[in-house]
Amino acid sequence: MTGSAAGSLSASGPRVVMDEFSYDDVIVRKFLVATFVWGLIGMLVGVVIALQLANPAFNLGLPYGTFGRLRPLHTNAVIFAFAGNAFFCGCYYSSQRLLKARMFSDGLSKIHFWGWQLIIVAAAITLPLGFTQAKEYAELEWPIDIAITVIWVVFAINFIGTMVKRRERHLYVAIWFYVASIITVAILHIFNNLSIPAGPFKSYSIYAGVQDAFMQWWYGHNAVAFFLTTPFLGLMYYFMPKAAEGPVYSYRLSILHFWSLIFLYIWAGPHHLHYTALPEWASTVGMLFSVMLWAPSWGGMINGLLTLRGSWHKVVDDPILKFFVVGITAYGMSTFEGPMLSIKSVNALAHYTDWIIAHVHMGTLGWNGFITFGMIYWLLPRLFQTQLHSKRLAELHFWIATFGIILYVVAIYSAGITQGLMWRAFDETGRLSYPDFVETVARLMPMYWMRVVGGLLYFTGMLLFGWNILMTWRKRPAVYDVPVIRAPALARRYEEPHEAAAPTGVFARFTSMRFHRDWERMPLVFTVLVFVAIAIASLFEIIPTFLIKSNVPTIASVKPYTPLELYGRDIYIREGCFNCHSQMIRPLRYETERYGEYSKPGESVYDHPFLWGSRRIGPDLAREGGKYPNLWHVRHFANPREITAKSIMPSYPGFAANNIDWPVIQKRVQVMAMLGVPYGNAITQAESMAKTQAAEVADDIAKSGGPAGLQDKEIVAIVAYIQRLGRDIKGDTAAKAPVVAASGLPITTGGHK
Amino acid sequence: MADTEKKKEKDRLLEHSYDGIQEYDNPMPRWWVLTFWATIIFAGLYTLNFAGIGTGSGRIAAYEKEMAAFRAAHPSPAGLTSPEKLLALTKDGHEVSEGKKVFVKNCVPCHGPDGGGVIGPNLTDNAWIHGGKIQEINATITNGVLAKGMPQWGKILKPEEIDEVTTFVWSIYGTTPAKPKAPEGVVVAR
Repeated sequence: MTGSAAGSLSASGPRVVMDEFSYDDVIVRKFLVATFVWGLIGMLVGVVIALQLANPAFNLGLPYGTFGRLRPLHTNAVIFAFAGNAFFCGCYYSSQRLLKARMFSDGLSKIHFWGWQLIIVAAAITLPLGFTQAKEYAELEWPIDIAITVIWVVFAINFIGTMVKRRERHLYVAIWFYVASIITVAILHIFNNLSIPAGPFKSYSIYAGVQDAFMQWWYGHNAVAFFLTTPFLGLMYYFMPKAAEGPVYSYRLSILHFWSLIFLYIWAGPHHLHYTALPEWASTVGMLFSVMLWAPSWGGMINGLLTLRGSWHKVVDDPILKFFVVGITAYGMSTFEGPMLSIKSVNALAHYTDWIIAHVHMGTLGWNGFITFGMIYWLLPRLFQTQLHSKRLAELHFWIATFGIILYVVAIYSAGITQGLMWRAFDETGRLSYPDFVETVARLMPMYWMRVVGGLLYFTGMLLFGWNILMTWRKRPAVYDVPVIRAPALARRYEEPHEAAAPTGVFARFTSMRFHRDWERMPLVFTVLVFVAIAIASLFEIIPTFLIKSNVPTIASVKPYTPLELYGRDIYIREGCFNCHSQMIRPLRYETERYGEYSKPGESVYDHPFLWGSRRIGPDLAREGGKYPNLWHVRHFANPREITAKSIMPSYPGFAANNIDWPVIQKRVQVMAMLGVPYGNAITQAESMAKTQAAEVADDIAKSGGPAGLQDKEIVAIVAYIQRLGRDIKGDTAAKAPVVAASGLPITTGGHK
Repeated sequence: MADTEKKKEKDRLLEHSYDGIQEYDNPMPRWWVLTFWATIIFAGLYTLNFAGIGTGSGRIAAYEKEMAAFRAAHPSPAGLTSPEKLLALTKDGHEVSEGKKVFVKNCVPCHGPDGGGVIGPNLTDNAWIHGGKIQEINATITNGVLAKGMPQWGKILKPEEIDEVTTFVWSIYGTTPAKPKAPEGVVVAR
């Protein structure tokens, strides 16, 4: 609680005590630099993984550099490091000024800054090492999750403390959005990451299958909402009118779109799981709330763009406003597209394809990136107390980045729609037109190269941005001027001044939203109201998902993975296979023709965590078990292109070289048993059971002409796991394809030897 | 504010200001309010389509219906091509060369580029695991051997493609592959 040196000036009357204080811009400068540095790294990793999809040679032959491990590094770096630091940068700058108070505690600000950077460093080390929880945007393992929670609470205390000691009576709309972001991210993070540790950097989610999928996408969707949308709306509400030097278009609109946005967003998560084994009611609720989310999202866009009314001529020669205009327009496009994609029939085409990737990049490159760039260009002269090094360079950055986004999204929209259509195409005989999955991948290569070019352009923009930051920083004064701000402390009592033009009548008072002024005076009440809004919506979905038994009908033949298969599954998780392979066949004819019987909710009851996936860069694996002999997998893992020439899967030669870490298996089985998985004998004999099975698999590989002596190698565990996938229900509910018999000949299928 | 644009009557500034930022008391755009209502009404109406509440049947029922319609339109294949016809086709050079294309595209990873066997058995010798008569080969390709990883090509390839590749397999009998796999199964005289 520093920086509120009270002076007793009597500037505006004898009884008004003026506080003297200053704003902490040191912390803002730190966050600004961190934003750029992490943005550069995160986007560079993005370019690398884009190259890996265009040519698998870019996996570099290192276990640490494969797509499956780097993709989470890219997403975490750009979301939590780039966008996160950008939010903190703008939030610390604007909140102090909007609340007329220095941050509650400089110490907490520093802990927040350094803690967050350490977390990112930890992420950048552990993700390439293969430590992951296998949940998108929540990959980081439990020790880092705990650190995130602590640092987020530090941020929350610092922020709420600042609100409490503010000198501005009412909270401006930007602050509402910050509050909603801080509260909701904390809740999402904690509940999605609940897990039981099985080692220093290994844990199993406490949820399984359908419930885990539900929790993950409740989190995943709202991470988009409360980490990439609401914080940036808050930033927009401060920096847009500042840069445009005009008033915000509509106060009433900001109230209605704020509350409707945060309330409706929370429900929308299940639209990520259409046609999966998630109960249909949840999927429908997700779709309908997403559709209703369209207008509230556009409320923000309207308020942003219409703030420019009368100032459009300024956009012509102001790169900052250009960034804001394109950024807000990208927000408008992606928040129209989001509701559209949530409609089940549209989603059936788009799900698992690059369409979703294009949608996300329109939002992140356009909205988050451009709001950040505009904000930082606006902040640079103010924070470094000098002129911006080069406005022309900023202009160039704008045009290069805009062109980069267009190239990127055009390529990836085309790739997504192309592949989606190829997957569902049937020929005139009723067979899949492209039964060979790799054909649908090979077709995308020109678009993948175009994406690389688009990404490189955007990245080039980042380099120009960095140069401008560096050169502006070099022109900073020797000592920063720290202006002393004078403002009276808030009086204990307050009466809203009579507003001559205020509407009269109950209905008019309600529709004019004057009641909201009262809420804006009470930060703690406001915070609680936000919490209630998001908690109610969450509980309405979460409670039935967990309590209604019929959501997940049990299947008697589904048994837990054997200890060896469990270990193999952990290798699958470590390598991030779920980033490219789904394990969820949808009840659509073109899916079941290609992959087999559609996935049932009861099949993943022992899946801690679920591995349904969200993108099919490779084929679905839900029924992969038994499709090919063990030897096929051994050779395929060693070099996929030896089996499928056009495959873009990385090679995994390490599987046949790395030894299985036998002693950890027992502990892992015990943690699974703790989570309710019926492991029986394996609870005490996991290691010996695993060794027996490993010897069997290794034997079969050697007998079929493969290398001998693999019984201690990782390859037998991962092959055992893959061979188990989807087999438990075969024979009872799996549909059998008609067998064509010739007269007088025995039917040969399905028989052993 | 810009001097260029005439300030509209409705732009009434609210008295408050935050760090110099002011807000207008403008009403919400009508089209925006109507859009919001439209989506809410859509959500209400769509609920009537939801299985259990309304008249819809749900995704599983829709899938079963789609499958039934497909089966009705595509009755199960009548049967395999007769051995006489297959043998006749083996004399047709075009048929065999078409069959080679099918083989190269689909069979090489497991049976090798010259049919010498890799993961799957050698196809050039006289030993057969699932029968070496021409119609048995045709049936093995059509139905696959799922337990051993041979896909059910009847679901993937057209019947004529299966016949083509059968004639190709028939044609490589007795050739000498680069790396022949040891014979497996029962010797069948041709």
